[in-house]
Amino acid sequence: MESTATPSSSPTRRGRDIPASPVWWQRLLGENGIQKWVFFIPIVFFVLFFAAPVVLTIVFSFFERTQFWMEPGFTLFAYENFFTSARAENYVFSMLHSAAAVVVSFVLGFPIAVFVRRRVAKAAQHRVILLFILPFMISELVRVFAMRPVLGRNGVVNNFLIDIGIINEPITIILFSPLGVIIGDVMSFLPFMIFAGFLALEAVQNYIFEVCDDLGAGPARLFGDIIVPLAAPGIFAGSVFIFVNSMGVALVPTLLGGPGAVNAGLIANQAIVALDFPLAMAISTIMILTLVLLLYVGHRLFDLTKVLEPIS
Amino acid sequence: MRNSSDTAVEVVDLGKNYGTVKALNAVSFTIDSGQYYALLGPSGGGKTTLLRLIGGFIQPTAGQVLLHGEDVSHLPPNKRPTSMVFQSYALFPHMNVERNVAYGLKLRKVPANEMRDKVDWMLSMVGLDGYNERMPHELSGGQQQRVQLARSLVLDADILLLDEPLAALDAKLRKDMCLELKRIQEKVGITFIHVTHNQEEALTVADRIAIIADGDLIEQGTARDIYETPRKRFTAGFIGDNNVLGGIVAGVSGERVTVDLDFAKVDIAAPGTTAAAGDQVSFSVRSELLRMVDPGQTADGAWQSVPATYLETIYLGLTTSHLVRLPDGSEVAARFVSSEDDIGSFETGQAVTIGWPSGRARLHVS
Amino acid sequence: MYDDFANPWTIRLKWSYLLLVVVALLSPVFYIVYISFNEHGFSARIYEFTFDWYRVVLSDTILVSSLSWTVYLAVTAVAVTIPMALLSAKFYKRSRRKVAFVALMLSPLFVPADIMGSSLLVFFKNLSGAFSWLDSVLGVNWFDGWFDLGFLTALIGQIIYTHPYAFIVILITMSRYRNQQTEAARACGATAWQAFWQVEFPQIRVGVFSSCAFVTILSFNEAVRTALLKGGFDTFSNVLVAQMLNIGMSGESYAMAGIMSIVSITVIGSIIVYTLVRAERLERKARAMAEPVMSI
Repeated sequence: MESTATPSSSPTRRGRDIPASPVWWQRLLGENGIQKWVFFIPIVFFVLFFAAPVVLTIVFSFFERTQFWMEPGFTLFAYENFFTSARAENYVFSMLHSAAAVVVSFVLGFPIAVFVRRRVAKAAQHRVILLFILPFMISELVRVFAMRPVLGRNGVVNNFLIDIGIINEPITIILFSPLGVIIGDVMSFLPFMIFAGFLALEAVQNYIFEVCDDLGAGPARLFGDIIVPLAAPGIFAGSVFIFVNSMGVALVPTLLGGPGAVNAGLIANQAIVALDFPLAMAISTIMILTLVLLLYVGHRLFDLTKVLEPIS
Repeated sequence: MRNSSDTAVEVVDLGKNYGTVKALNAVSFTIDSGQYYALLGPSGGGKTTLLRLIGGFIQPTAGQVLLHGEDVSHLPPNKRPTSMVFQSYALFPHMNVERNVAYGLKLRKVPANEMRDKVDWMLSMVGLDGYNERMPHELSGGQQQRVQLARSLVLDADILLLDEPLAALDAKLRKDMCLELKRIQEKVGITFIHVTHNQEEALTVADRIAIIADGDLIEQGTARDIYETPRKRFTAGFIGDNNVLGGIVAGVSGERVTVDLDFAKVDIAAPGTTAAAGDQVSFSVRSELLRMVDPGQTADGAWQSVPATYLETIYLGLTTSHLVRLPDGSEVAARFVSSEDDIGSFETGQAVTIGWPSGRARLHVS
Repeated sequence: MYDDFANPWTIRLKWSYLLLVVVALLSPVFYIVYISFNEHGFSARIYEFTFDWYRVVLSDTILVSSLSWTVYLAVTAVAVTIPMALLSAKFYKRSRRKVAFVALMLSPLFVPADIMGSSLLVFFKNLSGAFSWLDSVLGVNWFDGWFDLGFLTALIGQIIYTHPYAFIVILITMSRYRNQQTEAARACGATAWQAFWQVEFPQIRVGVFSSCAFVTILSFNEAVRTALLKGGFDTFSNVLVAQMLNIGMSGESYAMAGIMSIVSITVIGSIIVYTLVRAERLERKARAMAEPVMSI
């Protein structure tokens, strides 16, 4: 049967030149070959240089210490060394300091996330949050260091308070002290509570707030019954981030803590300097297990994958 | 000259699994060149999966796709003689209309003046002359879909795939675009495969319709066949406004099957049926064929009837539906064109007899 | 979201608190920059403006060479991290086991610098030991010096550190991109690469560029991991840490801290300003693209 609807504009039709089956090297370079496997590079890289070192840390913590290095073996010496010395006590203290930093960050930072989500025009929300990127993007080293001339005996804070006559003697408890460490941690990591809290609240639909207004829920009920439970995954993620970094970043106690102020990061660092590698690995192991435990509990309680909803 | 009995698409035992979820089960069919073919079915039934397998956007778990007799299962979309029109959002937002339409030609390194001519010609074909410089966000939904159509057609592909192309449009516009699509297809004469969940859309555009549900090809046929004589119970329930009733075969005599409904026995014409006495079967009657009848009227065998109780009248504008309940509790509807609704009035609960012309009910064995 | 019934003064109070927190987080840094321009350094009663401390820093050959290492490291970190983050983001979009993948990609955020640095240090030392053992067994020197502490190991440490941030930024930009456009390009005959480069990339360019800036700054500021993994060279922040710990707060360290802050503030500040200025227009455009008009 002759087709009546022969198109006018098609002297050549692609339908007639379907390429033949590819030979092996075309397959290799094709979309099921290298082009597919190239996407696995990040996974391979992270398994090799992140997951493997972290897992091996646990293995190395059981190795025998030698004078300058270590050798394969199985000994609990490093753990014994950790738990029978002041290090274990210091570790617990640094957990307490870190928990305090988390609480302070939540109290200071989370209301900002709520405010931006609820009261700032939708289009401007991301821009306001962006403001908190700036302090975070300045070297942590500089920010922590900068607390010294601010909090010091003749720093800005003391000078100001003496000038306006509130105090006569400089306050010395705010620098080179546990309080100084907490202040330093809050100044360093506060933006993360705001980011994580906002990200979690962003996934909450507007109508939820409107329903609450409609039902006449007061601010306290709204906060306790609706906002905190819905933002729980974000609050938790932000809290864990601040907690582990307060425990693990050696810089803060080094620069702002008093004599003997340490945290897990600094203990590990000192072990490395002392060439006691198994001990450093043991401390890292304990730190990593603390982190894994926290994340596991948090995931069971709040389903942390919710934090990722806005980006998936 | 192309011969319209050429096979454009042949699908052989095509299957696709997502993990343990079966999206498509070993489907086989062929589509002739130059045909407007619709894949119709409920959402999540696998019709889009099937279209994307033909287009090469996903790889089959089993089976083959043959385009013009060549196995293309191993080829990516850009190596296949197909082109695709998407639901929406698929125009490149950073390119104007002309650059969108010219994109594929540019990839083929078509000379600039030839490209310009082709683009202009194709834009006038879809009714968008002079829109060359517009950006996608300056166009309405219907215009965006026309640009998509132009972008695909300009490539002279043999087979055009349309994935719910009208789903984002409002009802009125969808109707206009249906006719437009049909007109364009007749003009260019290539094969169109159109996925939709909207039966009216499918009936308007398609030469042939395939019903896809639960990952299976339920049945296929011309638009008229599918609407008037569906073979499968599913099709009867899905297309048109059908009343589907179930019963047991009481006897088969020649081309006539007697179905026992518990409260009545009816005769159904079923040439060549495989049904045998004792089988559980169903049959369907289009609601516009149902009438209220006098019990005596059925005696001559021109009408089949069952007793019922009157429920209510629902005015739908063009048509009016009268709902009745059968003794087994199922509800059926008789539909009239409102202006010709001379049935009179009934009281709720009143006993009536409804019937349909003998030979117009369809028996479904499966 | 506006609330027509909210007390405007409460809103103003909340805004002032928000700005106060931003200022409080930034002011110590500004104070340091301020001190760095004082000829008499910290806690002097008089303030005389000078560039002298900066002159001292920039005439110190050790510092200048450390600055070139810093730049070298930052450039390579960007060159490797950004393509990798793009691959990860694309992989994430397609992957059906998203949670496991994202957990692997983001968990470096939760491992503190000193812990990650120590783990990698011991890992690399063992790896290089294992390679030289392999050499001696095989009687060759193919693997000699692989993963000895040096530029490569420091770079790997920085990639592990910066990649999660780049990944998130790119992923957020990509979440606005509709994959149908890639498929449309493929249907037009584009290869996977052409579809990415000509259709997707122009739409996520802003995110890619800002993640480049983020990675540059993160690499520039990184001190702890680099200090542990660098082997023989020093970056600018390594020298600054050594200065602070050994000499304490000298005029020079203020100037160095000043340089680091000014670089960060300039780069990130200009990105923020650029984003703020363009945001309004982009927003309107994005909205128009996302919701086509439904009628003729």
